[in-house]
Amino acid sequence: MAGADLREVQRLVVEAVTRPEAIDASGSPGGVSLLRPSARGMTREDRLEVYRDQFWQRHVPSLAEDFPTLRAVMSEAAFDDLLRRYLLASPPRNWNLQRLGAGMPAFVATHSAPRYDGLAHDAALLDWAFMEVFDAPDAPPLDLRAVASASPDAWPLARIAFLPALRHVATAHPVATLRAAVKTGEPWQRPAAAKSSAVVWRDATCFLHAADVDPAAAQLMLALQNGQRLGDACASVAALHPAISAEALDANVGAWFQQWTANGWLSAVEV
Amino acid sequence: MGYRQRHAIPDLGVGVGLRSPHIAHVLRTRPAMEWFEIISENYFAEGGVQRANLERAVASYPLVPHGVSLSIGGADPIDVDHLARLRALAARIRAPWCSDHLCWTGYGGVDVHDLLPLPFNRATLDHVVERVRRVQGELGVPFALENASSYMEYEASTMAEHEFLAELAERADCGILLDVNNVFVSAYNHGFDAEAYIDAIPADRVVQIHLAGHTDKGLYLLDTHSDHVRGEVMDLYRRALRRCGSVSTLVEWDESIPSWDVLSNEAALARSVRDETLGRASKEAAWRAPI
Repeated sequence: MAGADLREVQRLVVEAVTRPEAIDASGSPGGVSLLRPSARGMTREDRLEVYRDQFWQRHVPSLAEDFPTLRAVMSEAAFDDLLRRYLLASPPRNWNLQRLGAGMPAFVATHSAPRYDGLAHDAALLDWAFMEVFDAPDAPPLDLRAVASASPDAWPLARIAFLPALRHVATAHPVATLRAAVKTGEPWQRPAAAKSSAVVWRDATCFLHAADVDPAAAQLMLALQNGQRLGDACASVAALHPAISAEALDANVGAWFQQWTANGWLSAVEV
Repeated sequence: MGYRQRHAIPDLGVGVGLRSPHIAHVLRTRPAMEWFEIISENYFAEGGVQRANLERAVASYPLVPHGVSLSIGGADPIDVDHLARLRALAARIRAPWCSDHLCWTGYGGVDVHDLLPLPFNRATLDHVVERVRRVQGELGVPFALENASSYMEYEASTMAEHEFLAELAERADCGILLDVNNVFVSAYNHGFDAEAYIDAIPADRVVQIHLAGHTDKGLYLLDTHSDHVRGEVMDLYRRALRRCGSVSTLVEWDESIPSWDVLSNEAALARSVRDETLGRASKEAAWRAPI
């Protein structure tokens, strides 16, 4: 067990190095009293400030790099302010810097300042999906032979699994196209509101992609990912879209399945 | 029998840190380099490009994981998930040893992702010895701790850093990663004698030496790994080699990362210093092509 003294030292130092204001003689945090001044003329405050400065210099750029679309739809000043407020509200709690922005979409959505609009939230959702699929677990490729030999009668009972490195992003703006433009440096315009469903995934060569998908296809994918059998999942989607006939839905499902297979989104089909 | 001999710690020669800007080049051209060090936490994930790159790199080069987040001196409990991932990584790449830093990185669940210095006293020493023993018991490979650069000292310190590190290594029976640039930086910042520090480290426990560049910030030196190794640091390296003998050496360059040619030339310079200092024995481990 650590002694109480060590715990107190570490509590005070963390409190000091995560604070947003520079450490100086005008308002020294408790950690300062723990330190010795340096023989080279640095005060106790100067010495602690080295670490406080490093904390912000390390985490703000790291977060900024993780949210390129969010950055694009905000002014630089507002984006920087957002990152600093986020870090104050959600200081890093994991060794993995890749997980630092996990709470960003919710933070943007609930932030009280009016400048964080719906587009910013959608951009954060999409950017975070890219972060999640970047290092999600690998999965072996789907063995299509098992699928090809399946009886047509067996399909309604099929269970279909998607890649662990695949995420759905439902947004009020078409942000997948926006992110692609931002990343390639192409000109882009602020998109008008339009409900969108995108899939973000990592392919077998570890490249990351985003593609818009039909909202009904996205609903089917989600039902399958939640463990429903194909027949039940189709019935769930049909109930959400009474205007689509059973025949049309069957045809759509066939086309979607081909698209999922071609994109390498499936990891297993139990039929 | 000394620590290196007991654990059959190999002398891998002179290597460099494997960093993102060079990975594609290294995997494509397989340039001559004796070994690479990798940042452990960058390869903890169960999938993705980093893991794929690791599988390819380990087929061609010896790799050694070097961590930055174990927080061996932390007052929070050891992160068992981190430790399990490190153990899995070490096994996957058949690491000859693993290393991390003599420091702490957070408190109360907050991880500041920095190598914070410890108060060097008896209570802290007891605490860290216990944690190193536990880590070593679970890792399955030898474990070494690196002296970190630091910019502050505590009133509660009652021991010199080198005394603390030497006693820690003896009591916990672990290895030492001697970063001679960090010795130089901390000696400047705290006003101690860098040569006396090198001379006090138990030589048989040094499994690896780090070299790097630093930045002069006026009132202090900052360990930025952003430049060539300074001449004064190379002098300390020579001194460390004379004490420790043929020990694996690693050049770190993490900011303003230069071209591969510049980095490999820096490793070649370290190699020539090593050969000059140690003589023919060192040259027998010739600059070699990949496995």
